[in-house]
Amino acid sequence: MRWSWPSLAVALVVWAILPLVVSRGTADLLVFTGIYSIAGLGIGLLLGHCGIVNLAQATFYGIGAYASAYCAVNLGLPAPVGFSVGALVSMALAYVIGRPVLRLTGYFLALGTLALSAIASALFFEWDWLTGGTLGIGGIPKLGLLGFALDRPSRYYYFVWIVAFGCMIVARNLVDSRTGLMLRAMRDSSTAAASLTVDIQGLRTRIFVVCALFGSIAGSLFAHHASFVSTQSFTVERSITFLLIPVIGGATSIPGIVVGALFVTFLPELLSKLGDFHQILFGLALVAVVVALPNGVMGAVESLWIRATRRSGHGG
Amino acid sequence: MAAESLLALEGVGHRFGGLTVLRSVTFDVPERRIVGLIGPNGSGKTTLFNIVSGYIRPITGTIRFDGTPLVRDSIQRRGAAGLVRTFQTPQVFEKMTVLENVMVGCCKLTRTSMVQDLLRTPAARRQMKAIREQAEVACERFQLTALRHLPAASLSAGQRRILEIARAVVGRPRLLLLDEPSSGLNQSEIESLREWIVRLNQEGMTVLLVSHDMALMTVADTVHTLYFGEIIASGDMAAIQRDARVREVYLGV
Repeated sequence: MRWSWPSLAVALVVWAILPLVVSRGTADLLVFTGIYSIAGLGIGLLLGHCGIVNLAQATFYGIGAYASAYCAVNLGLPAPVGFSVGALVSMALAYVIGRPVLRLTGYFLALGTLALSAIASALFFEWDWLTGGTLGIGGIPKLGLLGFALDRPSRYYYFVWIVAFGCMIVARNLVDSRTGLMLRAMRDSSTAAASLTVDIQGLRTRIFVVCALFGSIAGSLFAHHASFVSTQSFTVERSITFLLIPVIGGATSIPGIVVGALFVTFLPELLSKLGDFHQILFGLALVAVVVALPNGVMGAVESLWIRATRRSGHGG
Repeated sequence: MAAESLLALEGVGHRFGGLTVLRSVTFDVPERRIVGLIGPNGSGKTTLFNIVSGYIRPITGTIRFDGTPLVRDSIQRRGAAGLVRTFQTPQVFEKMTVLENVMVGCCKLTRTSMVQDLLRTPAARRQMKAIREQAEVACERFQLTALRHLPAASLSAGQRRILEIARAVVGRPRLLLLDEPSSGLNQSEIESLREWIVRLNQEGMTVLLVSHDMALMTVADTVHTLYFGEIIASGDMAAIQRDARVREVYLGV
């Protein structure tokens, strides 16, 4: 399914006007949608193109957030330093841990990444000299760009989404490239891919590193938005939320990642107005989507699209 | 002659637990020839095939490919050296299109770093274009052009087999290993498969063919008969069919 220019132009206009017409609360959620899209993009690459369930994204999200917080607050360094330190530490960790962990397959691999998230979550708590423990790190400065303070959700929105679009373009490039071909080959049959010289372990590790990079960028963006980071933002539960993004939206579709991110940011908020049952309702909504749309929302849209174009094709 | 052999197995033996599946197998695959391997079920054909292609490491023996020892090399290194295999059950990439399947076969002819791919540099774009063009040519050649945008999952058994061969040879291997290529095919599909094997061989491809299909095996210059992990007879197909021991253990007459 390709986007036509008019629909793209409409989407762009809607995107540009949106934070100006919605409430501050909604704009805040839209910022989170952008941040979560970036984190979910990495998980989507692993899930949709490598068949790997990654339950460790909160780890890299946390590393990015703490790196930005620590560099900005404790060391007084400019924001790009925090972003870079987070990215480098996340990528190095993903590489070192990815090599052994990605040798596992299926459920064991999912459990391995879950363990990673649990360990990281415990370390974020224990290493209070670095992370501030439960008290966290507060007073993280808002970002500014060319003398323009991004101090309101409606302003930060543009910055976050431009970064998100950049990450989406990079992810799209990867999927369309020679590496993308080898990834999908490996997902469909690693046995045959190996015989065609696809380096299975190397490729899995590299995509894990890219996923960690996206997680870290999202974490840094989060830190500068929330101004305060603490352990409860980087728990295993957050990793599960990130995994839900491609599962709900459709792991192989980039618009699907945005749909998934909208689902996990907006739905709990909307349901919370309904009172005590909101978590149960969220759970039910989740089950309904997963059962009704096994390939995610965009997977379903795509098959409807194919059916519609075929029908119109036959009609004349 | 040893100097001409592309693949040389010497004393290759393997066992699974206490069960010896290969005793001491020695044979050569000369360059530009078709060598066949037959044997009843459980004779060790597939194990031997997996050893040559690198999926199993043998317990004893050596394998040389173009004079270089191969036993410690990974599947990928063997592939890069020019050895490619197909599978008893065709392993096509189901969710990818026919063209994409063939494109994967071309990937080893080019090199780009992942950073180049992420940034879609001009070099990455050129290489992708070259991969696509080569794959288009291969589709044309193997009469897959009409099917090239269909997912491989929608192909028939015969089409899958041809796709697997197209995908294997597009990377210009030196040795093509075919594992039971006629299984699951109908008569006309087997005939077309046979033509392909002959044509590829005429163009210079060396082939090691494992099959229980006697009719298909007539394409081979030399056939080795494996029985309980040992080669009990070697020669051309006519000689094999006359061999008393082969008739007794394999053909059951």
